[in-house]
Amino acid sequence: MTATLDRELTDRPVLSGRLVGWVLLCAGLVGALAAFVLAVEKFALLKDPGYRPSCSINPILSCGSVMTTGQAEVFGFPNPLIGVAAFPVVVATGAALLAGARLPRWWWLGMQAGALFGVGFVHWLAFQSLYRIGALCPYCMAVWVVMILIFTYVTVHNVGGVLARVHTAVPVAWLLLLAGLIGVRFWDYWRTLL
Amino acid sequence: MSRTKTPPSNVESARASAAKAAGQLRRTGISTNLKVTLGILVTALVAVLVVVVINFQGGPHVGRAEVMRTDSNRLSTGATAPEVTVVEFLDFECGGCRAAYADIEKLRGEYRDRVAFVIRYFPLKIHPNAQNAAYAAEAAARQGKLEQMYKTLFDNQAAWAGKREPQTATFEKYAEGIGLDVDRFKKDVRSAEVRARVKTDVSDGTQLGLTGTPSFFVNGEPFAGKARYGPLKAAIDAALAK
Repeated sequence: MTATLDRELTDRPVLSGRLVGWVLLCAGLVGALAAFVLAVEKFALLKDPGYRPSCSINPILSCGSVMTTGQAEVFGFPNPLIGVAAFPVVVATGAALLAGARLPRWWWLGMQAGALFGVGFVHWLAFQSLYRIGALCPYCMAVWVVMILIFTYVTVHNVGGVLARVHTAVPVAWLLLLAGLIGVRFWDYWRTLL
Repeated sequence: MSRTKTPPSNVESARASAAKAAGQLRRTGISTNLKVTLGILVTALVAVLVVVVINFQGGPHVGRAEVMRTDSNRLSTGATAPEVTVVEFLDFECGGCRAAYADIEKLRGEYRDRVAFVIRYFPLKIHPNAQNAAYAAEAAARQGKLEQMYKTLFDNQAAWAGKREPQTATFEKYAEGIGLDVDRFKKDVRSAEVRARVKTDVSDGTQLGLTGTPSFFVNGEPFAGKARYGPLKAAIDAALAK
């Protein structure tokens, strides 16, 4: 209740810490899980090049063809390792918020920097996946989604204002745009499924 | 933090302003958010419906799709009156097609006198050079050397597949290697007839509901098994036994 009172007394609309906490906790958990699965699949693929990853469903939805590309290890090591290390921080932040903690400004700035890097990185990966590799990897797409959610809610928390007034509209529009691009790019394939 | 803005003595007015702010948040904040979000969702839904309706108005011409056309490319066998016809929709850049190619070659030798093998082009968009490869094969067919090009493309798949850049020069080199008139080949690759031919195959394949390559039809019936030697041989034997 104190948290709510504090918020309401500041004259600008700010999201409740509980909402941001829940979003960060859930999105962080999903992201961590997806990154972990991707890392495990990558190890399996390294052990046995003939291994067929669990998420290689058809020519378009195929982790195998995405995971074996150069883009899958831009920094010289498999990308999912970044997620395995970073998503738990998001989970911990969400849990701390739900526990009622008030995190210092520097913490939020750090979160903002991390989220900015993450969201930029997944968009680069999404571009590569759609227009260079030409295949989609389901676990990677889960990471794109949660990264957009994390970035939106961290930014809304830090900036507030108009953004807070449309806090679900922003990620919804963003994800729809991404879904639209995927729909257009692979239209020929989707229509064969109809 | 902001609590310090309000003097402790003024708890009453703080409560009032808090309630007011909360009301405002409820009125402008939450409802605006919901309205905008729903608006976006509805707009997107309408857009998708419009696109789907427009695309299906022409309707898939299922009746016109054919597994095989009279001018479809047949790989040579000794069979003058084949008892069974195997049609393959293939993509020269697909790994599965490369694997099936070896098996088909083996089957082609074994059933030389009784089975016809027909190949149709189904280059997938996900493969940057599949379309060019199909054009190259069809251009070779115009000079009666489809089979040589078909073999060369698959045998050397590792050398050209998966590359972003157009492999036109590589295919011209192959054309030269199998003894084609390269100038004519270059002209044919770009010609409207060759492109139309590939397009017909793709359109038939799409309308037949193919989801990937290689896709086989045995005597016009879709083959559902794994596109490898054993299952294909079993399907051919079953069709021969009928």
